[in-house]
Amino acid sequence: MDDTIYELKDVCFSYLGRFPALRDINMNIAKGQKITIIGANGSGKSTLLQMLDGLIFPDKGCIKAFGKELKEEIFRDDGFSRDFRQRLGFVFQNPDIQLFCPSVKEDLVFGPLQLGVEKKEIAKRLEEVLSILLIEHLLDRSPHQLSVGEKRKVAIASILMINPDVLIFDEPTAGLDPLTTRHIIDLLIQKNEAGKTIITSTHDLHIVEEISDIVYVFSQEKKIVGFGPPDKILNDAALLKTNNLVHIHSHRHKDKIHIHPHLHLDHHTEG
Amino acid sequence: MLKNHNFIERSIMGALSFFKESIFAEECASQKGFLQSLDPRIKAITFILFILQILFTKDIIVLLCIYAACLLLAKLSKIDLGFFLKRTWVFIPLFSLFIAVPAIFSIFTPGAALITWRVGGITIIITRQGLEAATLFVMRVITSVSFAVLLSITTKHFALLKVLRLFKIPQIFVMTLGMCYRYVYLFIEVIENTYLAIKSRVGIRMSPQRGRHIVASNIAGLWQRSYQLNKDVYKAMLSRGYSGEPLILDDFKTTLIDWLWLFAVLVVNATLLYLRYRTA
Ligand SMILES: Nc1ncnc2c1ncn2[C@@H]1O[C@H](COP(=O)(O)OP(=O)(O)OP(=O)(O)O)[C@@H](O)[C@H]1O
Ligand SMILES: [Mg+2]
Repeated sequence: MDDTIYELKDVCFSYLGRFPALRDINMNIAKGQKITIIGANGSGKSTLLQMLDGLIFPDKGCIKAFGKELKEEIFRDDGFSRDFRQRLGFVFQNPDIQLFCPSVKEDLVFGPLQLGVEKKEIAKRLEEVLSILLIEHLLDRSPHQLSVGEKRKVAIASILMINPDVLIFDEPTAGLDPLTTRHIIDLLIQKNEAGKTIITSTHDLHIVEEISDIVYVFSQEKKIVGFGPPDKILNDAALLKTNNLVHIHSHRHKDKIHIHPHLHLDHHTEG
Repeated sequence: MLKNHNFIERSIMGALSFFKESIFAEECASQKGFLQSLDPRIKAITFILFILQILFTKDIIVLLCIYAACLLLAKLSKIDLGFFLKRTWVFIPLFSLFIAVPAIFSIFTPGAALITWRVGGITIIITRQGLEAATLFVMRVITSVSFAVLLSITTKHFALLKVLRLFKIPQIFVMTLGMCYRYVYLFIEVIENTYLAIKSRVGIRMSPQRGRHIVASNIAGLWQRSYQLNKDVYKAMLSRGYSGEPLILDDFKTTLIDWLWLFAVLVVNATLLYLRYRTA
């Protein structure tokens, strides 16, 4: 039995052939894994996730998903395309882009309707998703009139409605309050325990440990500069520092100012 | 000069927020009144019947009655009448002034003189027929506009879009319309925010030249953004399984009240039609 979902080999990509966004990416992702991608702004995280979702394709190198090479041509096959979309759910970084329907309800049912899910099943999923994310009261609202956090919840809900095997989240907790962040993280973990593969990009080192089996660090050069289990990566202060993932804090301790790099992991255990 | 500048600035921002409020406000639609409780399909059909009736009637009494009915419906739907009147009469100068006002004078509509003015060497006569025609016209415009506005403010816009689909307008048009609506809002916000951002960076005092430059480069940026947005939204649609023809959930439900309302409107319309043919 082969559990590999993704195989990336020497993948390169540039926008418009001019702006490089990924360089020589090698990666393997197996079924049921939790993968996290961290990196500074502009290091290519979103680009990679879009590639995993079959929205853009490598200039060089090869990406295989579920044993098939992803190329623009194979998406012309409706059967393959539908099957692929059914297996994958991608929560975009910008919920304003993802929520394009006139009402929240229509946005939620958009995915399953396009994929030919039965009406009864859609109603069942809708009820479930609404109760998980506590967004029932937003159903008849227009997505553009929601707050950032509400939009993000609706965006996540619209993906859960598809009930995919692989869930891809592009910065799912950006702009959320601590409690909502907690809620979303719990949801990811719960989905993973139910057998889903979870791929997340984030800047938020607080959440990395819980949502990863393997962490990939992307550099400003759009390359992978390190990967491994979260405890190893998160303890590699030099690696994190050179990649803009920790910042220098100045603290005031009894009238003296200390300046030291600060890992956003545990909250001031030093007192 | 500075005052002037502020005036323009305020009116532009005012116009933007008016636009936003009047098109995007959904407060009326989410209230629990009579019209809001009707099925949007039936509501649209009955309102179209009313508007047809308005366009064909020549009797000002009938028009007044229909207009009164419209106001009554607005009242039953918990709409603030002041707000409603303001919103509908706004259209009158636009639509009718240029057509209705000339019509009351004798050169355009000959007939019995009602008022005669002598200005200089010219005699201006307002004719009775002219005045009647103009009143009829204004009443027609105001009544049909009132119905159209009433329909649009008591129905959520996504429901209206779905009704369009019911009238056999292709899905892709309806979907595009909905998305335009959605993203026009986004752009208004972008414009507002950009404006605020410029203001906070440059301050209020800005040479006109520099101002023009910033505005020009922002418009270019806006086009760029709309193009990018377009591409990104398409990706988001693809990602959720879109393959050329969007499918939309049909979840309208009719109740007894809908059918009673439809029946009542049909009876009223048939009666009006009968009366018209009998007198004609
Ligand atoms: N549409 C585009 N056209 C041109 N260049 C782009 C486009 N989108 C991204 N890029 C470039 O590609 C690189 C990678 O961008 P990407 O959005 O993948 O970064 P990211 O790691 O997701 O950053 P962030 O943390 O800010 O979301 C950046 O250098 C960016 O400037
Ligand atoms: Mg990104």
